[in-house]
Amino acid sequence: MSTDAKQALQIANRRRWRRTVVRHSILIGWGLIIMFPIFWMIQTSFKDAHEWVTWPPHWVPQDPTLKNYEQIFTFDVQQSGVAREATEQPFNIWGAVADSLIICTTSALIALFMGAFLAYGISRFNVGGGKFRHSVLIIRMIPPIVIAIPLLMYYAIMVPLASETVLGFRLSLFDTQFGMSLLYITITLPFVIWMMLSFIDEVPYTLEHAARIMGAGRLYTLRRVVLPLVASGMVVTFLFVFILNWAEFLLSLTLTHPDVSTLPVLLNKFQSASEGRLYGPQAAIGTVITIPVVVLGVLIQKHLIKGFSFGTIRK
Amino acid sequence: MVEGMFILILIIPFALTIYISFLRWRANRPFEQAYLSGLRNYESVIADSGFWDSLGRTFYFAGAAVVFELIIGFFLALMVHQITRGRRFYITILLIPMMVVPVVAGYNFSMIYLDSGPLNQILAPGLNLFDINPRIRWLSNPIAAQWAIILADIWQWTSLTFLIFLSGFSALPPQLINAARVMGASRRQTFFWVELPLLKPAIVIAVVIRSMEALKMFDPVVLLTFGGPGTSTQTVAYYLWEQVWQFNKYSFGAAASIMLLIIFSVLIFFGIYLIGRQGKAIERGEA
Amino acid sequence: MAQIGLMEVVKKFGDFVAVNGVSLDVHDGEFLILVGPSGCGKTTTLNMISGLESPTSGEIIIGNRVVNDIEPGERGLGMVFQDLALFPHMTVFENIAFGLRVKKTLEPDIDRQVRAAAEAMHILPLLDKRPAQCSGGESQRVALARTIVNDPSVFLMDEPLSSLDAKLRVDMRTELKALHERLNATFVYVTHDQAEAMTMADRIVVMNGGLVEQIGGPLDIYDKPASRFVAGFFGTPTMNFLQGEIVAANGALTFQCEHIEHFLAENTPDSLAGKQVILGVRSEHVVVNSGGQQGQVKLIEPLGDVSLVFFESGGQEQLVAKVAPELRFSSGDQLTFGFQAAKCHLFDFDSGTRLN
Repeated sequence: MSTDAKQALQIANRRRWRRTVVRHSILIGWGLIIMFPIFWMIQTSFKDAHEWVTWPPHWVPQDPTLKNYEQIFTFDVQQSGVAREATEQPFNIWGAVADSLIICTTSALIALFMGAFLAYGISRFNVGGGKFRHSVLIIRMIPPIVIAIPLLMYYAIMVPLASETVLGFRLSLFDTQFGMSLLYITITLPFVIWMMLSFIDEVPYTLEHAARIMGAGRLYTLRRVVLPLVASGMVVTFLFVFILNWAEFLLSLTLTHPDVSTLPVLLNKFQSASEGRLYGPQAAIGTVITIPVVVLGVLIQKHLIKGFSFGTIRK
Repeated sequence: MVEGMFILILIIPFALTIYISFLRWRANRPFEQAYLSGLRNYESVIADSGFWDSLGRTFYFAGAAVVFELIIGFFLALMVHQITRGRRFYITILLIPMMVVPVVAGYNFSMIYLDSGPLNQILAPGLNLFDINPRIRWLSNPIAAQWAIILADIWQWTSLTFLIFLSGFSALPPQLINAARVMGASRRQTFFWVELPLLKPAIVIAVVIRSMEALKMFDPVVLLTFGGPGTSTQTVAYYLWEQVWQFNKYSFGAAASIMLLIIFSVLIFFGIYLIGRQGKAIERGEA
Repeated sequence: MAQIGLMEVVKKFGDFVAVNGVSLDVHDGEFLILVGPSGCGKTTTLNMISGLESPTSGEIIIGNRVVNDIEPGERGLGMVFQDLALFPHMTVFENIAFGLRVKKTLEPDIDRQVRAAAEAMHILPLLDKRPAQCSGGESQRVALARTIVNDPSVFLMDEPLSSLDAKLRVDMRTELKALHERLNATFVYVTHDQAEAMTMADRIVVMNGGLVEQIGGPLDIYDKPASRFVAGFFGTPTMNFLQGEIVAANGALTFQCEHIEHFLAENTPDSLAGKQVILGVRSEHVVVNSGGQQGQVKLIEPLGDVSLVFFESGGQEQLVAKVAPELRFSSGDQLTFGFQAAKCHLFDFDSGTRLN
């Protein structure tokens, strides 16, 4: 190679190297911005009250403590060292954990099975006509506040009224795990159907035909042929819906008080406009809420990517 | 059977809401004492500046947030698409904000925006230069509070636009780009004349989906500002929540939510129309 | 005695008629091929025989009974699909054993039979592998083994070779034919490839637009196509077609079109005089350097054993002739040509049916 060509190549390489460095630094920079609030929350959760609002703020707690975690995890309210009685709420987190877990898990499971069943029908038998596939997602586009108000009326007033007249006793869906689960199932069903549809579509129907020719009944085929192939899809869908339920705030805020509280609602209880916030316990609760979900999210990440492609990936 | 469930959970409450919206009723009167009062509630909603202000504000927040999310997300996706090593790593990191519970995100930012918070600490050197007290109380200033909410939204949801754009980039057929290069197009020309048009479906989808979600903004408002200072950060969702749960104006809330539903339905159908058009264009092989 | 019978079978999907009244018999032990272009209804017909689709009207008879209402699994059939339909999450062994497991066969018997089938198809070493780990040809044989092991009396095959590359396809053709001999079973095979049909079938059923155009042995179909469609479908290169009129002159019939006038064979019926017809003649029956017509060479394709000469007569229709390789032509040459009159086919211009 001539020296001119060699020089040109060197310059080009250097330029390329510079560009790569720039790209990586931008990405790392944004990555830091991303992680910062989370990092801040985690380290706040280890701070005692006197460190919450110092100036300049401490990036790492100088007196790290587990008190916040102790506080929220204890059963006995009296034991809490940092008592801010103004909010009068129970401090411990177990109730909310239980509520959140129960509601989120059962809703996700039931929604999963109902939705998978429906999705199978849509995929193989075109239930609901051609449009049904895409229109399922429309439900999700409605702002929850619009349904929160009617639901409040419904749960707290209509149902008790109706049950009183019909059944003889006052049954309310307001502030119940059952009521919330029912609601969550309804609003996550479209997602389940949409996701399971894509998984079921990937199983060629000729497999079921082949099984049928060899004498297998519908149930046998479903169990031995279809199910193993969509099993991982079902897990992903379940996790996705679970995460959705876990993070849901508006509806649980509006429709439960004081018996049932999901974790997000609990977080909110630790503050009010007038009394200020308990940053420490909030941080602890926030950490407890967030970590499992982030971990789960990372696990199902690959499928989320596929799911959000919306057909921009052409075969 | 599923239709039955939908009806039970959603349709009946709607019918009920419509009924209530015609009532005159407040919480201190039990339900039995409410009486019909025609369109009066709707009139008061239409006349209520709070409602329209918050609606306008919601559009403003959503608009600002989405614009930034689109630009930043696009840019990030471009970067990730172009680097060769460490893609999985960056994607994992960049996707995390989406998985953070929005409530928690709201809380996080409430800490950061404290007058004694890290944001001010970082800005302090610059502010001191201009003789400004670095202990800025972000959340006490209406405009700053608004942007605080918008920033929180951007932080969390840029990941989504990033994701959509990334898959758009990955789907670009390399042959088309090679063909352009062979015909002598520069990097720039290839980008603007070939790649960008091919990304149109992704862009439309990102815009529509993100906008619809952004209009629902609620969680950060509750956690960060309580709609304050004053009413400057009340999104329409927050406003309605306040009316019904704090002030117990049930029938007002009912009427308002019906109106909101109508407004949103128009938007939703428009959005679906746009997305559907992109889908059809893809199927026809045009995009 | 026909083993499978279709009586006036019709299949509609909404308003669309996929199969429009098909009747045919499949003889015991024969290799029958349904052939036709995409969308002609051949796969739908096969699916009705298998029971995966039910006919809108008409009867499907297997053995001596009408099986319209009988489940696919109970008709005693085996089927190989175009995409092979091997269960990806099961090993080859389990794939083959599936049908036996369904019938609750005992494990030792299953083992024995699966191995026997695997050995017959030369895939014993693959038994523990997954379908994804098998090559195209191996997967084919697994699909076949899975069908054989259930000992069906009839084998249905839906374009099984279309996913293979050309060389493999030719090899598998021979294997399938050999399998047919060995098993002495009835094969009903669907394909769109006329070469496959010609090489493998005992009898061919040519379908088009939901109807049967012709049924017969390969050479019958080749030599005496019942319609213009069948004539054009079989044979490479495609048969030459000329549109023209039959004219009676001096007690003999000739075919006339713009620049060609050709005498017709003596046994051509006189009733055809004055008719608008399509004359079909295969490239191997076009004679060059003799006969009375003039033409100009456009293109030569030397294949080695023969050469294909593409030429035009009077600037109109382009014709192909198969000639001995020694005859060298170049583009632009003038040549004379004629047709072997006895090998000319006449088809009605409107309906396409055969006239002679």
